[in-house]
Amino acid sequence: MSEPTAPSEPSASTEPVASPEPVASPGPVASPEPASSPPDSTRTGPGRLLIAVYALFALAATARAGVQIATKFHEAPVAYLLSAFAGLVYILATVTLANGSPLARRIAVVSCSVELVGVLAVGTWSLADPATFPDATVWSGYGSGYGFVPLVLPVFGLLWLRRLSKRA
Amino acid sequence: MNGVVPTTVIVAGLVLAGYAGVMSARDRRMDVPLLIAVGVVEVIVLVLVGLVVAKLVGGAHPAEQATLIGYLIAMPIVPVAAASWGLLERTRWGPAVIAAAGLVTAVLVVRLHQIWPVIHV
Repeated sequence: MSEPTAPSEPSASTEPVASPEPVASPGPVASPEPASSPPDSTRTGPGRLLIAVYALFALAATARAGVQIATKFHEAPVAYLLSAFAGLVYILATVTLANGSPLARRIAVVSCSVELVGVLAVGTWSLADPATFPDATVWSGYGSGYGFVPLVLPVFGLLWLRRLSKRA
Repeated sequence: MNGVVPTTVIVAGLVLAGYAGVMSARDRRMDVPLLIAVGVVEVIVLVLVGLVVAKLVGGAHPAEQATLIGYLIAMPIVPVAAASWGLLERTRWGPAVIAAAGLVTAVLVVRLHQIWPVIHV
C-alpha cells in the first residue's frame, strides 16, 4: 500500500505544484490505482465528502419541510415553504454533483449559487423580520441552527466546481 | 431511560469522527479497523433506536412524533450509507466521509433529546 508509485498518478504528473490541496501530491500512500477514477470527476476526492454532506442536507431539509407542511403549515407558511425550496435545491445539487456530466456541472453551479444567495438573503431576512419566521428554516440566521454548514456548503461546492473546470 | 446509551452514542460518534479524521489527515485510506469502528457505532445506534421504540410502544409520545420517527429511521442509515459511500473512495476522502458521519451521529442524538427530552443525554 505504501509503495512510492505516485508518479503513475495522472494529476501528479501533469501539474506537480499547481494544487493547493495535498490530496494530489505524491504522498507515500498515494493510490496506485487512480486510473479507474479520473481525477476530474465531481464525485471523487473532496467531492466524495461534499456529496455526502449535500445528500444529508437534501434529506434533512426535505423531510423536515414535508412534515412541517403536512402537520402545521398555517403556523409559519413562509418558513416552511422556504425550507421546502431549500430542500429541492439541495437535492438538485446532490444529484448534479454526483452525476458530473458537463451539463450537470453547469446546473450544480447554478444550484450552489442559488443556495449561497438563499442562505444570505433568508439569513438577513430572518434577523431583520423575526415575525415572519416563528419557526426556523435551514437558512435562518445564516444556517446557525445547523452549525453554519448551510453557509459553508455552497462556498465549498463552488470552489470545488471551479477547481475542476480549471483542471479540465 | 437513563442517559447511558444516548451518551455512549454521542461519545462513540465523536471518537469515530476523531479516529477517521486523523486517518484522513494522515492520508490513509479506508481499512478494516475503521470499518469495524463504524460497525460498533452502528450497533450502539441500533440499541438506542430499540430503546426509544420500546418507549413509544409503551405508550409515551413526544409532541413531534413524526419527526422523531424520521430520526429513528435516519440514524441507523447514516453509518451504513457513509461506509458504503466511503469505500468507493480510494483516497483520504473515504475516512473523511466517515468522520462526517460520526459527527452527524452525535448531533442527531442531541436533536433527539431536543425533540423528546425523556431521551436524556
